[in-house]
Amino acid sequence: MQNEILFATLALIAIVSSIVMISAHRPIDSALSFIVTLISIAALFALVNASFLFVVQIIIYAGAILSLILFIIMFLNIKDENLPDEKHKNRWLLATSLIIAPFSAILIDLILRSDIAVNGVSDAKFGTIKDVGLTLFSKWVLPFELVSILLLVALVGAVTLSKRSE
Amino acid sequence: MLKAYMILSILLFSIGIVGLISRRNIIVIYMSIELLLNAVNLSLIAISADLADSSAQVMSLIIIAIAASEAALFMSLFVVLFRNRASLDANLFDMLGNSNER
Repeated sequence: MQNEILFATLALIAIVSSIVMISAHRPIDSALSFIVTLISIAALFALVNASFLFVVQIIIYAGAILSLILFIIMFLNIKDENLPDEKHKNRWLLATSLIIAPFSAILIDLILRSDIAVNGVSDAKFGTIKDVGLTLFSKWVLPFELVSILLLVALVGAVTLSKRSE
Repeated sequence: MLKAYMILSILLFSIGIVGLISRRNIIVIYMSIELLLNAVNLSLIAISADLADSSAQVMSLIIIAIAASEAALFMSLFVVLFRNRASLDANLFDMLGNSNER
């Protein structure tokens, strides 16, 4: 029962802050509310005993990526005249949600009708860093190495892109 | 609990798609893409907890790494685009086709 109350609160926080994120006019407001979304998603990870992913989500997403976004927003020194003037922003948001709503309604209906198993694991070592690490370095070694190459390529590309060309 | 997680993940994904389509500010578009990745991560974690299989956790770990490399590229793109056009409007960034037009 306690878990359900926690889940409902966190889900409400996540949904409300993500709606604020897509509808805020200034990018700094949307970045700050996106941090709230990410932290509540991390707490939802912790609610199903995925403790390592909880830590990773807090450190990498809410810590590194979002502070990078905030740094860039402040570094670019964005003023109001630099922002696109979205006069019909609310109309656009409403129209797009009307288009998207049937699809998500169909998906939710599918999920509600399906008989996906509800096992409710209570294994103590599930989701710990040892468990995840053993899986990562036994079954998933090749994707792990490919991701490291991808990170290297992305960083080299970022440096090359932002170099000032004469 | 799994169904509730899946429904929340669908809702977050839909919100992310709405933001992706209807906004013109490129920083908000980027954060909507991150919201899509997070919604997928949420459903992966719920499934892995339900099946007691940590492969899905490794998958979402890899998704987080991909999101980090995406963040690096997007940030340098923001700097370049803002330097060229002094705006964050996605409608202005159509210079891929004709490079000599400023």
